[in-house]
Amino acid sequence: MDSTIQQRRDEILAKKAKLAELKRQRELRKEASARQSLAGSPSPDIAQPSPSRSDQRRDLESLISGLVGDRPSSTRPDSPAQRVTRPHSVISSGQLSSDNEAPIQYVPITGVDQGMQTLSIAPLATVFEFDAALKQQKEQEVITYSKGVQANIDDWQPQRSRGVGDSDSEGDQSPTSSPRSKRLSRRQKEREDEIRANLRKEIEEELKAVQQPAPEGGEVDGKENFPFKTLSNEELNAVENSDEFIGFVERSTKVLERALDQQLGYDILADYALGGENVDEEDEGYGSSGGKKGRRVKEIAQFWDERWSKKRMISDLGFSSKFPELVLASYTKNPSAPHDPDGLIQVWNLHMHDRPEYIFHAQSDILTAKFSPFHPNLIIGGAYSGQVLLWDTRAKSAPVQKTPLTGSGHTHPVYSLDIVGTQNANNIISCSTDGVVCGWTVDMLSQPQEFLELTSPPPAKTEDMAVTSIAFPQSDPTYFLAGTEEGSIYPCHRYDRAGAKAGVDSRVKYSGHAAPVMSLDFHPAKGQIDLGDLVLSASVDWSVKLWKVRPPAATGPANAAAPGATQVVSPILDIAREDLVYDVRWSPVKPSVFALVDGAGSLEVWDINVDVEVPVQKVSPSDNKRGAFATMPSGLGYMNRSLNKLAWERNEGKRVAVGGMDGVVTVFEVGQDLGGVETRSEEWSGVKRLVSRLEGVGEGVNGK
Amino acid sequence: MAQNTPDDTLALLTRLSQKPGVQSTLVLARDTGAIVRTSGLISKSASANPNSTLPASSETSADNYTNTRKEGGIHNAEDVASMVWSFLTAAGDLVDGLDTEDEVKLLRLRTKKNELVIVPDSKYILVVIHDTPPA
Repeated sequence: MDSTIQQRRDEILAKKAKLAELKRQRELRKEASARQSLAGSPSPDIAQPSPSRSDQRRDLESLISGLVGDRPSSTRPDSPAQRVTRPHSVISSGQLSSDNEAPIQYVPITGVDQGMQTLSIAPLATVFEFDAALKQQKEQEVITYSKGVQANIDDWQPQRSRGVGDSDSEGDQSPTSSPRSKRLSRRQKEREDEIRANLRKEIEEELKAVQQPAPEGGEVDGKENFPFKTLSNEELNAVENSDEFIGFVERSTKVLERALDQQLGYDILADYALGGENVDEEDEGYGSSGGKKGRRVKEIAQFWDERWSKKRMISDLGFSSKFPELVLASYTKNPSAPHDPDGLIQVWNLHMHDRPEYIFHAQSDILTAKFSPFHPNLIIGGAYSGQVLLWDTRAKSAPVQKTPLTGSGHTHPVYSLDIVGTQNANNIISCSTDGVVCGWTVDMLSQPQEFLELTSPPPAKTEDMAVTSIAFPQSDPTYFLAGTEEGSIYPCHRYDRAGAKAGVDSRVKYSGHAAPVMSLDFHPAKGQIDLGDLVLSASVDWSVKLWKVRPPAATGPANAAAPGATQVVSPILDIAREDLVYDVRWSPVKPSVFALVDGAGSLEVWDINVDVEVPVQKVSPSDNKRGAFATMPSGLGYMNRSLNKLAWERNEGKRVAVGGMDGVVTVFEVGQDLGGVETRSEEWSGVKRLVSRLEGVGEGVNGK
Repeated sequence: MAQNTPDDTLALLTRLSQKPGVQSTLVLARDTGAIVRTSGLISKSASANPNSTLPASSETSADNYTNTRKEGGIHNAEDVASMVWSFLTAAGDLVDGLDTEDEVKLLRLRTKKNELVIVPDSKYILVVIHDTPPA
């Protein structure tokens, strides 16, 4: 393609050269004839009449261009007017337009070639479609034309036709025209006057015809003659490298993918009177669970991207509170792609199944991430490098802010962070595995606003506390629980308060787990009864434990009897599972419901009002999406199904996202009994009764 | 929002054209109507104007042919382009007539056989023709 363009350029260049050559010859001839006419000898020269002829022609041309000039089509030298009056050039210009004009013209019509023969106005209507650059090129030619030395015009016109059609037309013209014009120059003049008059008439008529449809012609013509042609390679490159095009594709393909995926979900044109095979069947296959209708758990979507999800594990999941259809997933690095960024966050849209809505990067593995509950565009994350990062969905994939690697922040991996406070005053609290807790403002991540070092209370072997997870109660942003690698859970204060210094409150210890605590979650009490002191913890010791935490203010007086002694609190409920439990989360709406994911790859949904020993539902993600281990031998199937994280949709509590080793995000929808906003008061009181019963049992067992 | 290189852009379009059910895709420049990319469409002028054959699009369309189950569904790119254009113009006129400050953002046209989804943007137009579940 390039070569053809090049070829045509060469042709044009060659013609220009020829044109110059002709000009020179004409000058020479003029001089010669002048000399000869001075000498009075009858000259066989051919050029003598030419100037006059060309003068007249020029008049015509200028007339034409004067009449036509107000239209942009004046940029086209071979306007139909000339074709009318000079049929000789019609053919050749027609020829030209097919093999010479075509490359110059930005948008030749497929119909142009045939149209040329007739008096079609098509080219006129389309000329204003010229590409800027090409137009310039065109206009340069026009400059030569209008500025043109007088002799030019004559030459220039036939030149174009000669160039391709009859290369001997120069010789053609000279012998025929010169003797005739010499002998009959007067008569010829008359004739040309006549011709000129005719021409003017014709032009005027034609102009009328052209200009009349012109005002509305833009669109009318657009329909019939719009040049729907494909672009040349160069044009294509130019278009595809433009930011506009890139942005357009980004936007429009997203819209289309949503549109197509929506189609798959439900056909709005479904006619239930027809067929009937399309009626929504209650499928109870793989990936969904049977049981009572309200307690159903059904898989609704799986997200995996060939390019980015490959060989990465999911490290965290979160729903957006503003846009409940958005799920973010953070990933660890892909060990086999050293050139890809280590850290990755993909924001998935439940309405777009095959492609993430956004992709964010980081230099280091992202271990935890969540949407800011106070700002729908912001995403915060904690990295293996100890950095806390902030991304903005309105910006590019790189973080808009990040904490420095050195200095006052974290120097160990940040496995846990949260945003606490209110809409107008909130802080990011991050915690690294060396026990450092930092408070940041969203506006400034260059320096922590708070810095707190958690140290293990005396009986521990090491001073540093290896914190694996933290959790803030709903009601009090100054107090939090920290789960450690050794299995104990400690209450911590962000600030000094009566009876306790900032840091670990050594007077209380929640002891029960024998292995690292993977997850801690306070009850998101939003109902009639305050259950905000209930905490769930999950550990790789194959258990989930339910705790009733001491209110931080009450720890002081309660402990006054035995100062210095650590009060050891046991869980009020111990739920043993069949595998490592990686994550556990309360339902954001149902007071008695929580979900957990385990190393065997199951999502279990529990309702402690129904049963405290077996889950209400247990499901596994289906195999529809090929995860990272899809090609591995099935013997490893056990390993690769492990689920690391789960997240509830915060507003309605109807959806749960889970993800794990294979990098696949799976979203389940739970039935009415396990999710949805309407809760009955019995559910709250039921939990309250259960807790007090459990407390009683626990105390009896402990012999207190 | 993420990596914005031409290659990725092309990959996005290719992905779209390879989605199950998608018969053909077409990217038009809005101002000139020039066809930027196609897949699953034949080009009438391909023989007349060799410049119009797009290497990239021919490969996507080749992929797409395997995707396309019914041969009758393959249309002529220029025809589709002009028809889409006039449809869009008509739709634009309608919207303009209702509210001059409004504009067309998305056109979905369901037919008995398939669906056209047209996304008009300020500079370009993306058209996808895809199969719909038999209704």
